[in-house]
Amino acid sequence: MERSEIIKNINSCLAEEFEKDETTFSADGNLYDVLEIDSLDLVDIIVLIEKKFGIKTAKEDFADVKTFNNLYDFLENRINK
Amino acid sequence: MNIALVTGGSRGIGRACAIKLAQMGYYIVINYRSNAAEAESTLEAVKAAGSDGELLPFDVANKESVETAISKWQEAHPGEYISVLVNNAGIRHDNMLMWMTDDEWSSVIDTTLYGFMYVTRALLKDMLVKKFGRIINMSSLSGLKGLPGQTNYSAAKSGIIGATKALAQEVARKNVTVNAICPGFIATDMTKDLDEAELKKQIPANRFGTPEEVAAVVGFLATKEAAYVTGQAISVNGGLYT
Repeated sequence: MERSEIIKNINSCLAEEFEKDETTFSADGNLYDVLEIDSLDLVDIIVLIEKKFGIKTAKEDFADVKTFNNLYDFLENRINK
Repeated sequence: MNIALVTGGSRGIGRACAIKLAQMGYYIVINYRSNAAEAESTLEAVKAAGSDGELLPFDVANKESVETAISKWQEAHPGEYISVLVNNAGIRHDNMLMWMTDDEWSSVIDTTLYGFMYVTRALLKDMLVKKFGRIINMSSLSGLKGLPGQTNYSAAKSGIIGATKALAQEVARKNVTVNAICPGFIATDMTKDLDEAELKKQIPANRFGTPEEVAAVVGFLATKEAAYVTGQAISVNGGLYT
């Protein structure tokens, strides 16, 4: 899957799940600050990723995911590996 | 389908909770550790109350037993989730602390506290994702005021109140409530060795309570209408001051 498609899909899902405007998302933006979430909300992101991309993730996978770009990198690696 | 799991559901307060939730339309998953015949009786009572259910045996204090049973249940029920959890399983091994054995201490602590943790952790993810859940933990009068001869039980039940308050704050914004119930002297197998005639003199209501009176509070806490009640330890004790 192309990176641009991954970004489009995940942004759309995150915007819907956390009721945010996609235009506020930027590659360097802090995921937690922009989405106004904390570690408890990772459970929603884990389920969302599983449903949208069919890959299983765990809380530990997100240890280094701080920005949207980190998330896109992580998804690109996992989906295309 | 609305589904509730009652741990220690084969007898006493657990059975009454299962029946109450069945009357409210819940499909009941009845957990028990060893008494299959009594658990079957609870299931019959659930059916007589107009609902249905199933037995799910596991030892709440055994991590592998809990995780295996619950993950198998989840695999067998795709798309369904347990929205109401009654952490009721508990044991008593009373003794004066001076004479208490390590096993009397740890078995009571493990069943109550590890039992709460293992079962709740296994079910919490679905409640958070679905943004609805009701967790009702059975504490005790003993956990509020301490009772002599029950340092193990008082410690465990007091711990449950602390865990209830902490978890309630963690998950409140996901519409998952967590409350504890503190029954006083309730007429069950667990209290049949107590001197009711003597003890009831201390109880303003002048009697032991019934399991159904505890289950009525569980029933309320399980409702959608109880959404703003969380992190509480609710006494059901006939007016005993705690």
